[in-house]
Amino acid sequence: MHIEIDEISKSFGATAALNPVSLAIPSGALVALLGPSGSGKTTLLRILGGLEYPTSGRVLFDGQDATGLTVQERRAGFVFQSYALFRHMTVFDNIAYGLNARPRATRPQKAEIARRVTKLLDLIQLPDIGARYPSQLSGGQRQRVALARALAIEPRMLLLDEPFGALDAKVRKELRQGLRDIHDTTGLTTVFVTHDQEEAMELADLVVVMSMGRIEQIGKPQDIRARPATPFVKDFISA
Amino acid sequence: MKGPVIHRSPMPGLGLSMGITITMLSLVVLLPIGALLMKGANYGLAGIWETVNRERVWTALFLSFRLSLFAATLNLVFGVLLAWVLVRYRFPGRRILDAAVDLPFALPTAVAGIALTALYAPKGAFGQLAAEIGWKIAYTQWGIFIALVFVGLPFVARTVQPVIEEIEREVEEASATLGASRLHTIRHVILPMLLPAALTGFALALARAVGEYGSVIFIAGNIPLVTEIAPLLIIIQLEEFNYDAAAAIGIAMLLISFAMLLLINLIQVWSRRRIGYV
Amino acid sequence: MSDATVSRPVRFRAATEESPATRWTLIAVAVVGLGILVFAPLVTVFVMALADGVVASLESLTHKDAREAIRLTLTIAAISVPLNAIFGVAAAWFITKFDFRGKAFLITLIDLPFSVSPVVAGLCIVLMFGTNSLVGGWLVAQGYPIVFAMPGIILATMFVTFPFVARELIPVMIEQGRAEEEAALTLGAGGWRVFWTVTLPNIRWALLYGVLLCNARAMGEFGAVAVVSGKIRGQTATIPTTIEMLYQEYLSVAAFTLAAVLALLALVTLVLKTLLELRHADELAATHRH
Repeated sequence: MHIEIDEISKSFGATAALNPVSLAIPSGALVALLGPSGSGKTTLLRILGGLEYPTSGRVLFDGQDATGLTVQERRAGFVFQSYALFRHMTVFDNIAYGLNARPRATRPQKAEIARRVTKLLDLIQLPDIGARYPSQLSGGQRQRVALARALAIEPRMLLLDEPFGALDAKVRKELRQGLRDIHDTTGLTTVFVTHDQEEAMELADLVVVMSMGRIEQIGKPQDIRARPATPFVKDFISA
Repeated sequence: MKGPVIHRSPMPGLGLSMGITITMLSLVVLLPIGALLMKGANYGLAGIWETVNRERVWTALFLSFRLSLFAATLNLVFGVLLAWVLVRYRFPGRRILDAAVDLPFALPTAVAGIALTALYAPKGAFGQLAAEIGWKIAYTQWGIFIALVFVGLPFVARTVQPVIEEIEREVEEASATLGASRLHTIRHVILPMLLPAALTGFALALARAVGEYGSVIFIAGNIPLVTEIAPLLIIIQLEEFNYDAAAAIGIAMLLISFAMLLLINLIQVWSRRRIGYV
Repeated sequence: MSDATVSRPVRFRAATEESPATRWTLIAVAVVGLGILVFAPLVTVFVMALADGVVASLESLTHKDAREAIRLTLTIAAISVPLNAIFGVAAAWFITKFDFRGKAFLITLIDLPFSVSPVVAGLCIVLMFGTNSLVGGWLVAQGYPIVFAMPGIILATMFVTFPFVARELIPVMIEQGRAEEEAALTLGAGGWRVFWTVTLPNIRWALLYGVLLCNARAMGEFGAVAVVSGKIRGQTATIPTTIEMLYQEYLSVAAFTLAAVLALLALVTLVLKTLLELRHADELAATHRH
């Protein structure tokens, strides 16, 4: 799905988290929102997911105004930084949650739900953990379960907030490839937030560098590396 | 668990603190409870059974337990609601409301007892209103029920409040991004997370209500077989110097207390096993 | 840059919020519920106490029985609360500064009085120290009666308030750990010095909190005291048991005036408790330090 951000701004009280920013994300792209904390990247992601409402501006999905859509209507697969798995549910029930939450008319049959969950567990390469609880999983496993849960609702896009932030360096590298693979398999437009320039450069097709609520530069990793547009970008990517 | 009973430690005061703890615990709590159990042992199981297995005693025990169960159930529902409102919403007077939840803990039971009686008696403010629709509250089982709701009020709210404070917003947001309506989120995500704490509060309120005396006897009317609660029977037996019978009923009530304690511990073990937290 | 602002559509609501209608309904249920259950009885105490005017109420307080009851209740609290505070500090020290087997069981035993009916608590003490028990009989023969006398009331009061201080201190001291005490020890401080200069300053607000709750319950205990005291007017009648006697003699104003005294105590306790929670939340249990 093609996503267009049109002059979006967001302020919390007197402080502006986002100055009006515009950005077009082509269908099927893997985009990194890169910047230090306080740069507005997470706010932008949450506006895309419908978790925050912009102070001004519009969000367009495939050319249609989606600004007023509720979180539920957006069908954005959202992966939270803390993963936000439901601790009282098994992995299976976590992944099936979105399907079970559908109104009766559109809810798949039990067997169909089970089939889809099994397929997703295969996709994240953890076929045998369906009966476990989140507290019994490693950090990397939790991250993949969160991803599978987001994918279960057949999302129109995938939004990830610091998806590797809570992991140690080794696992992080492995899971980067995992996300790349899942993106390539599903072809979903994917936006992830990170403060790690190496991660952004390595994984994304398109990198959006942000600072203090503004977009500093948009470009392919190699272009940004070769021609940083502002002193900030130059500084940040060489850090 | 292997190893020594007490691990060596550089901390001072082992002998003194252990001495005070064990001595006072024994003197104030354990020996008196032991005396009750001894009395029961001397009286014999047959004797206890004979005392308890009389209509008046059964009726009182059953009445205490049944009304406590009803009261604790209302406390469960209202307590969760109160906790939610106090943690999640900001409105004028919230602090006063929050402090008021503790009033049943702080207000002596005898004071609560006569106040509730005055309020719900046929001439009282609420009693009059109820009487107009032919509803008699004081000196009936309704009166006991209300007194028990009063004393059990804080338990569920106070056990659930910290759990609500700890719920990560992201978990609720995750549910919404997966398409769940707010109601679905509350039913399938939030309430299950509160369940262990709510059940613990429920069991605490139940235990308190079963043994409650002061706030109940004034409003109960104490009519044998109708509004006579189990603790009152113990007092009646004591006033007749019938120590064996008092001990028998006391042991029956102690067993109920132990059962509640066990229940609370089981809830916590279950909760910890399943979701890794209490 | 565009200055165009989108008017916030009514349907947007944060994902973690209920609709305003739901919110205000729930608040209303909470307010009305607490109003009926808690505020109404509280107001009733004062209304009934002042039914014949302030003068009549104050006069009833100067009656000998009321004066004796107040004096006895204060004495009981002055003895049982400090004893329980000492127990609470010692138990919390023992439990949090040492590792030993059966710790969880010990904590359960300390909490036991909370799940025992006050009447059963009184009964236990009567059976242990009553005239026809082994210990009680001997003590009476020596001229030290326990039951139907002050020691029995103190024991009963201590039984029902036993866990208050310990239960408040244990979580706070667990959270604070042993590092500060260990540091003091390495600097050459002795045991008592460590306690007075390091531990106590760290737990003082939690201790005060526990003592406050313990005191409120001690002064108001009815069931257990009713069983052991014999309710002898002017001798073993505390404020709560005197309230019962006055009430049963239809001396409504006198009964409710004494009740109002205890209700005021409860209110003061709640205010102090709330203040402690506001000012020293970081040093009380159930909240996080640092």
